[in-house]
Amino acid sequence: MTPPTRVVLVPGVLALLPSYAGLTDPVADLRAACASAVAWLTRDGSPVTVLGDEQGTRVGHHLLGDSPTGAGSSYLVVGNGSACRTEKAPGHLDARAAGFDAALGAALTGPDPEALRAVDPGLARELWASVDAWGQLGDLLTGDHVAHVHHDDDPFGVQYWVIRWEPA
Amino acid sequence: MTLQLGRQSFEDDTTLMMAIVNRTPDSFYDQGATWAEDKAFDRVAQVVEQGAEIVDIGGVKAAPGVFIDEDEEKHRVVDLVARVRATHPSLVISVDTWRASVGRAVCEAGADVLNDAWGGADPGLVDVAAEFGAAIICTHTGGATPRTRPYRVEYDDVVAAAIHDTVAYAERALAAGVARESIVIDPAHDFGKNTFHSLELTRRLAEMVDTGWPVLVSLSNKDFVGETLDVGVGERLVGTLAATAVSAMAGARIYRVHEVVETRRCVDMAWSIAGRRPPARAIRGLQ
Repeated sequence: MTPPTRVVLVPGVLALLPSYAGLTDPVADLRAACASAVAWLTRDGSPVTVLGDEQGTRVGHHLLGDSPTGAGSSYLVVGNGSACRTEKAPGHLDARAAGFDAALGAALTGPDPEALRAVDPGLARELWASVDAWGQLGDLLTGDHVAHVHHDDDPFGVQYWVIRWEPA
Repeated sequence: MTLQLGRQSFEDDTTLMMAIVNRTPDSFYDQGATWAEDKAFDRVAQVVEQGAEIVDIGGVKAAPGVFIDEDEEKHRVVDLVARVRATHPSLVISVDTWRASVGRAVCEAGADVLNDAWGGADPGLVDVAAEFGAAIICTHTGGATPRTRPYRVEYDDVVAAAIHDTVAYAERALAAGVARESIVIDPAHDFGKNTFHSLELTRRLAEMVDTGWPVLVSLSNKDFVGETLDVGVGERLVGTLAATAVSAMAGARIYRVHEVVETRRCVDMAWSIAGRRPPARAIRGLQ
């Protein structure tokens, strides 16, 4: 794998896609955070590799717009924490969600590549978290990296992060 | 087609609420509630607040009754038009009249649209619209004399007749110099028609939309709703909204209404179902 120079994490929120646009934007803050992180990621015009599940990569490609994609040293990882943080959350309230997300948040901002690779896929599935690319993210963040958090919120009971990492 | 209604233009994916304002003592629905000029003026402010893009001011009730001559009709509507123009500069003002002389007077006072509910009974009305750059609503009445009720009227095909007559009227307006984007057609439910005719016009409204001329529907609390549901004038809102939803699915652009808020919601819902309007705010299942 090409050594990473720039890595960004965004959540795979379908409401970011134009096909699901309403008259007002329910995720305006998240969209702005994604736009600023992706602008940083693509500023030199080098190609970006998108990592995530099928829906997540669709969201990632939309956020990249006309920027080139393909092998290179820039990565857009698509994933998010649990969707069980409140009673109104898509997966309803699960008492384990807060702890799961707190640990995940610490692993992301550390960053702690080992902890990212060790995320329990069974628990993640039960908490409706999208962590398909977490192992690859752990690999990308091996070595010294500094995290900058653009967005950390759970407006619909789903844990979102927009984070960028660069080598220390 | 983009609509040009006097001072205002509207993109072709928009729907418009035309609120009825009666400067009459005897219209069927409100029974003179806005007969006093101040009351009519207050009604305008209320419907603007409710989001109506157009007001349709009328000085003569549609049904038979006391004869209202041109001077009396002008007396009822011209000053009100001028007052509304001064107070609501961006509001589209329509006047419901079939008389060219009244049309001229209200255009001079600031009207944007001439709503000829009687289908060209006065051939000079299109010339007035052309002269003032006003829009015109071309309705179908089956040749009925203004202010008469239908009596044993039959059609081989009411929709074909409505299309033939309104398109002919639209082309006459175009030839007279009215801008193409300022011509609207209206099947005129219940005018020269029985309930079966109005139901069929509603059911087949898409055929009128397919002519390419923008379509206005005037359904609000009318007798075809009352007869269909066997309900009195005060109980026709639900039936009106059902007919409104069907008309919106077919693509009607302008809705002449008593109840602005309810009709707006009904049309927005149907327009979104038809895929012509995004939801206001959608997040369920998309978080």
